Amino acid sequence: MIDKNRPILETRSLGKRFSIGSRFSAEGKRTVHAVDNVSLTVWRGETVGLVGESGCGKSTLARCLVRLYDISDGELLFEGNDITSKSLSELRPLRRRLQMVFQDPSASLNPRRRVGDLVAEPLRIHGRLSSSEITRRVAELFDLVGLLPDHVMRFPHEFSGGQRQRVGIARAIALNPDLVVLDEPVSALDVSVQAQIVNLLADLQEKLNLTYIFIAHDLSVVRQVSTRIAVMYLGSIVEEGPAEDVFAAPAHPYSQALISAVPVVETTPGGTRKRIILTGDVPSPLNPPTGCRFHPRCPIAAERCRSERPQLREYRPGRKVACHFPTM
Amino acid sequence: MILSVRDLRVSFRTNDGLVRAIDGVSFDLEESEILGVVGESGSGKTVSLLAVMGLITDPNATIEGSIRYKGRELVGLPARELRRLRGNEIAMIFQDPMTALTPVYTIGWQIAEQIRAHRNISKSKAMERVEELLAEVNFPNPHEAMSRYPHQLSGGMRQRAVIAMALSCNPALLVADEPTTALDVTVQAGILDLVRKLRATHKSAVVFITHDMGVVSELADRVMVMYAGRVVERGSRAELFSDPRHPYTRALLGSIPPLTGEKPRRLPAIPGSPPSLLRLPQGCAFGPRCPVHYEPCGAGKPDLGSGTHAAACFRVAQA
Repeated sequence: MIDKNRPILETRSLGKRFSIGSRFSAEGKRTVHAVDNVSLTVWRGETVGLVGESGCGKSTLARCLVRLYDISDGELLFEGNDITSKSLSELRPLRRRLQMVFQDPSASLNPRRRVGDLVAEPLRIHGRLSSSEITRRVAELFDLVGLLPDHVMRFPHEFSGGQRQRVGIARAIALNPDLVVLDEPVSALDVSVQAQIVNLLADLQEKLNLTYIFIAHDLSVVRQVSTRIAVMYLGSIVEEGPAEDVFAAPAHPYSQALISAVPVVETTPGGTRKRIILTGDVPSPLNPPTGCRFHPRCPIAAERCRSERPQLREYRPGRKVACHFPTM
Repeated sequence: MILSVRDLRVSFRTNDGLVRAIDGVSFDLEESEILGVVGESGSGKTVSLLAVMGLITDPNATIEGSIRYKGRELVGLPARELRRLRGNEIAMIFQDPMTALTPVYTIGWQIAEQIRAHRNISKSKAMERVEELLAEVNFPNPHEAMSRYPHQLSGGMRQRAVIAMALSCNPALLVADEPTTALDVTVQAGILDLVRKLRATHKSAVVFITHDMGVVSELADRVMVMYAGRVVERGSRAELFSDPRHPYTRALLGSIPPLTGEKPRRLPAIPGSPPSLLRLPQGCAFGPRCPVHYEPCGAGKPDLGSGTHAAACFRVAQA
């Protein structure tokens, strides 16, 4: 159930800067604005999908949201409490409620430890459970994510990719979190296995009343799992709205190009969709264009776009766009 | 006929036993035709194309069957002869452009080297040709791009440079192994456009390997679906997508979430995962995951049979 009265997570003009180079390099020290002025509200029980091309800052934003990165600008609120600059020890009690699932399950699981042990680890660190209670809880989690009880004694390499991702998910939900950030959780999986994991995530959300922030580059997967979508370009959100609305009628020229570029299986011959092919590459965030950051690639850019940066504005209830000339 | 593969079998001896990576694959390719090869990891789609390119050099590998390029048998051809064909008449594009580019030379130098390996022309002539090629693959500023190193280009631009390299000698056959998998959809759309355009201008036949049904349905003339080292279904694009016959093809198409229209509450997923090639199930390899599995499936391996649209399935044969 989505509860529109209780935001679980809120960002206010959140920004993340990285400094790169050194004072001895030719260009000197420079700053990259990986995430720039992001204000996003996540309601309890919903799934927010973050989409955009590689380098648009979606993974950086996700890592800021669980405070894996320190935040450079703005504020981050969890259930209304400011956690922008809480110390690691102050964050500890919150960690169990904010979890993350990573793209590559084989990279995030220690190959030398049995998976039962890996799933028990968060329980040992955060819970105050006896060892028999932990064993019982691990068995319960294995059942929940669709692994067999005797899998507990296996090592990660004995599993297929899909099963390994189930282990990663079991670890993330072990402590009954409220919010799970999923960074490309199905991208490394075989096509025939992706649907299983997508279904598992939907089941768990319903059973455990989870809130998801879902990142994937496969737009049809994002549409399937998300209730709301935020499209990012060069570190900022350019469009936000209900998933089905944004996919059916994207308002920002960038969202339009992105969605039109997805190859889809056409069963009816001749029914090809109109495709907008963007010219050029994503500009370097080191040296972003003036005005609207999308204007050098935008098919409808006007003079105003070159000088004035559009703000993310609510055009219709729930539909926000950062464009001077949105299609709505 | 550009390429004709008959009953190709590739197996590898390993410490854990014999891996049958390809188990009897046959297909034909006509001039300026695009064949899409779809399959998951371990389905044998890459290995079959490496065999065509003569790039399986593992001493533990055994290659059986026949690969005929313009009527000439490639299996057992000496390395010297193969080298004359590869990069010249048969070119390949890989998933990661950096596997085909060296970081220490400029793009222009690398493409020119490739041309000069096969054509007896001067360096300056080769460089002129490089500029033409880069323009053809839509580099905004080809002259400037020639002096760039791979790390100075974006992923999409690097893949374009590799395509330019592959086209440098007007290949009759272009083999592309997941060339857009590592790229963003916006960049992918541009590359697919380019492949279509080049097929028209160069008349090259293209074998395009991918796991993305959407890409195949946009690009391919004919499609071949592989599972556990065998072809389970083949047909023209229209046949395969409007009337998929093999339960695996059907299930794979069904498990793709739709981009428009009503969202299903749950996706129709395929249970289990692709089998290990070391321990293939008895009979049909898809049997254990198949929704319409019945007794004959456990006994023998179904044949693909002849015909343009064919599926290797006992149920389909029965119907």
